[in-house]
Amino acid sequence: MPVVELSYTRLQKLIGKVSKKQISDSLPFLGLDIESEDKDLVRVEYSPNRPDYSTDFGIALGLQGLLGIKTGAIKLNVKKSKNFSISVDTSVSKIRPFVTGIVAKNGKIDDKMIKQFMTMQEDLHFGIGRKRKKSSIGIHDLDTISFPLLYTTTDKNHKFIPLNSDKSVTLSEIITNTDLGKDYGSILGNSTKAPIILDSNKQTVSFPPIINAAVTTVTTKTKNLFVEVTGINKDDAEDMLSVVATILQKAGFVLEIVHISGSKNSTPKLEQKKISVTPELINQTLGLNLKPSKIISSLKKSRLDASSKGKQIICTIPAYRFDIFGPMDLVEETALGYGIQNLEPMLTPSQTLGQINPISRELKSLSNIMVGIGFLESLNSSLTSKRVLYEMTNRNTEKIISVLDSKSQEHTILRDLIFPGLLENLSRNIHESYPQKMFETGTVFTLDNPISEKINFSGISAHKDANYTEIKSVLQSALKIGFDIQIDTKTTTHPSFETGHCATVLLNGQSIGIIGEINSKIIENYKIRVPVVGFEISLSDSVLESI
Amino acid sequence: MSQVFHEIEKKIIFSLKNNPTQTTQSLEISTNLSSDQIRRGIEWLKLKDLAIVKESKTSIICLGKNGLESFEKELPERRLLNLLNNEPRKLSDLQKELGFVFGPAMGLARKNNWVEVSSDQISLKNIPDILPGEKTLKHIGKNKMPINEIDKNDLSLLFKRPDFIVEEITKIKEISLTESAKSIELSDSSGAIDVEAKVPEIFVARTHPLKDTLDEIREIFVTLGFSEIIGNMTQSSFWNFDALFTPQDHPARELQDTFYLDSITSKKIATPEQIRKVSESHKKNWRYNWDINEARKMALRTHTTCVTIKHLAEKKPDEARIFSLGRVFRNEKVSYKHLVEFNQIEGIVVGKDANLRNLMGIQREFYKRIGITKIKFWPTFFPYTEPSLQTMVYNERLGKWIELFGMGIFRPEVTKPLGITKPVLAWGGGIERIAMLKYGLDDVREFYNNNLNWLRSATKCQ
Repeated sequence: MPVVELSYTRLQKLIGKVSKKQISDSLPFLGLDIESEDKDLVRVEYSPNRPDYSTDFGIALGLQGLLGIKTGAIKLNVKKSKNFSISVDTSVSKIRPFVTGIVAKNGKIDDKMIKQFMTMQEDLHFGIGRKRKKSSIGIHDLDTISFPLLYTTTDKNHKFIPLNSDKSVTLSEIITNTDLGKDYGSILGNSTKAPIILDSNKQTVSFPPIINAAVTTVTTKTKNLFVEVTGINKDDAEDMLSVVATILQKAGFVLEIVHISGSKNSTPKLEQKKISVTPELINQTLGLNLKPSKIISSLKKSRLDASSKGKQIICTIPAYRFDIFGPMDLVEETALGYGIQNLEPMLTPSQTLGQINPISRELKSLSNIMVGIGFLESLNSSLTSKRVLYEMTNRNTEKIISVLDSKSQEHTILRDLIFPGLLENLSRNIHESYPQKMFETGTVFTLDNPISEKINFSGISAHKDANYTEIKSVLQSALKIGFDIQIDTKTTTHPSFETGHCATVLLNGQSIGIIGEINSKIIENYKIRVPVVGFEISLSDSVLESI
Repeated sequence: MSQVFHEIEKKIIFSLKNNPTQTTQSLEISTNLSSDQIRRGIEWLKLKDLAIVKESKTSIICLGKNGLESFEKELPERRLLNLLNNEPRKLSDLQKELGFVFGPAMGLARKNNWVEVSSDQISLKNIPDILPGEKTLKHIGKNKMPINEIDKNDLSLLFKRPDFIVEEITKIKEISLTESAKSIELSDSSGAIDVEAKVPEIFVARTHPLKDTLDEIREIFVTLGFSEIIGNMTQSSFWNFDALFTPQDHPARELQDTFYLDSITSKKIATPEQIRKVSESHKKNWRYNWDINEARKMALRTHTTCVTIKHLAEKKPDEARIFSLGRVFRNEKVSYKHLVEFNQIEGIVVGKDANLRNLMGIQREFYKRIGITKIKFWPTFFPYTEPSLQTMVYNERLGKWIELFGMGIFRPEVTKPLGITKPVLAWGGGIERIAMLKYGLDDVREFYNNNLNWLRSATKCQ
């Protein structure tokens, strides 16, 4: 989850009359988890569905509502004018078809604000922008650009000076040589052309979705901003724009319209939408009995507008709240405005009868029997490694099931047997006192259109006198007492077991597993200094078959 | 306070009362106990502050090869003198009988004036009853003894002879009683044993501590009226993500968070109607081109919610309390707080009256039963529930609030496409976190290390 750093004093200035404690008490009830606090600074985690919380401006708007200082929906006041326009060339339609934008004037920008805008941009890119693929944003110093602008495509040998540089380079060079180019160049596909925003003097403004031009860089001297969003979907681009517009307005800027036309593009409306909800749904879902007036005031505290109309409550939702899909989202907004801390938990008696799954019950009883025989229960990961599963136990690796791109070398392959893990456990405990006797029950995996999952049972015993007779007695007794079944053993060979001391475990003539003395070479591989005996059987193919 | 002593302790105390400072060797003799028994007895008495042990270094003397031979056959010079007891003998005869010790024996005898030699005849002159060194040789015999128990003059004589004496420097323990021990009255009559003494530890075979926690949680939900279902750990992305309204381009679905199985896809993921309706919900709400091939990719489940939603889609119950408990997987770096594979519980309540306060009530009851009473609820976000909450519980040991179960009501975008008409309350969370609180662990990896030292000794702390 993304994290934003806030300053209490800045928040206090943005919110109005409020104490530091009120702020810190309220943050969690907006869904913001406090990660750490250091005097005036507080770091909070916010959910990716609320990109407006990526700056203190957005969080201040939320807190004003929750604390009842300012409630109701935030209305965007966009000044109409004919000063700013972008025309779109049809050539962009196959690469990155949509552009939208807005102008924000007469603001004051300080270092903190620039820092916050940068993190907001990154969070928007990562979250709703899906790593800039769906939509990406550029914020520019308006006064360095001469309108109207053209959103078009160009050859990749087009040159300009990119942000944080003083050298003119080609688009190809940016794609192949810079970090941003390497990370996001692939979004543009294999086309020989690339999208570009040019101003009326043919000066490059931005090379979306990779980088802005150096000339439009925003500094603390900047007063007026131009924001552009490009993307593969018009609605997504406008969603992103609405977040930035709302935050800039709260930051003190005056918004002004940018006209957009050409190639299925149009001027963004950033309109509010209306969704209706019934008090019944709200009360039923929350387990409350709120009057419509209380529901309306709660929704307003969540910075929405609401009014009663017959049996419905009509809710007005600002454009930046695109996380709201339907009535159920308004139930949550009501709960948040009402205050989660005011919801009293309530336990209604169960009308249903509980039952443990029979498989869990059988496994538990088997565990108890094994403990009675003197075996300690072990737990290993089902996702393990080729080394443990196959190499150390001398088994062939034909049918392995592996996962893609694991971050841990120890966890790359799904186990098909349990006992290699138990042997690994023994090898990690060679300094502990003997005898060491362990067992495990758990899921094993085999390829079978696509995958079959079965429950296996394995036990091992390691000490100076460990032998075949001991381990057969253990398995025989456990299954006899646990499930009233009698097993037979028939001589066999297995790469992990000592020849002549290894048998197939048979139940009614069917093989259900293997038992014997572990091959001395394998014991040596594991640096174990005592004999080891063990077994592994499938429970799914035997005692659990009928469950 | 009357004290109970072990038989060994009694014998040692008794002996030390008669003879206040003794070595372990002399105690062995006086008590007739083995050296091991003496060693243990002294340790016990030391622990009880009844015995003082002073260690010092001393020379221990025993006979060497020639010394031992002389001990068994008498000294060479004594043997010579014995041969001359009855009559003078010829030099050559004596040489034959005594072999190579004849030379040194003869040398000594002549030097000390014990014999007289005339032409080739040897006869006795003045002989002392005991020859120098003879007494000490017999005194040492086959024993090892401290140097201070041996006649110094004799010893220095014997030292000069090759291979007669071997000297080892060893530590000697001198044992004496403390003041309080001196007043102990020993009574033999009681037959009592030391019931306060420490006893050896037994390594108990046991079920795994984490399994115990799983069982405890399973039992709590069953008693709250829930039935357990079990589902597969390998799941198609359709049930793990798509059916739960998680868009296909959502960051959580990427390789770096989810384990996908290499080149394995599922041919039959769901009914055609389920696939159609789920894909429509995605297209409409998330505005992208839903791809069935993404949904076919097999993954290790990232939560147990896929098991419960599949169950609901199949049974469509009007009223149900269901839970699922099992392993889930995340492609993370393993650390003290993260595992790639851990256990999760997932519970649902279906019913026309199911509501958020009920959901909170079930949580509160559950926490109460595992011994956690200080809890609160905070809002949060999950793609498939609305409203969504998380429980925060207060951990006394860490002195802070920690996040446990997440919960919410399944979104209509999840339930409607699958034909589920009643509200569904859902919650879930990791079990290891709860088990860590119970066993006072700071490193979650301990549960899967199978470290015998820990498994044999772990105890609950909450």
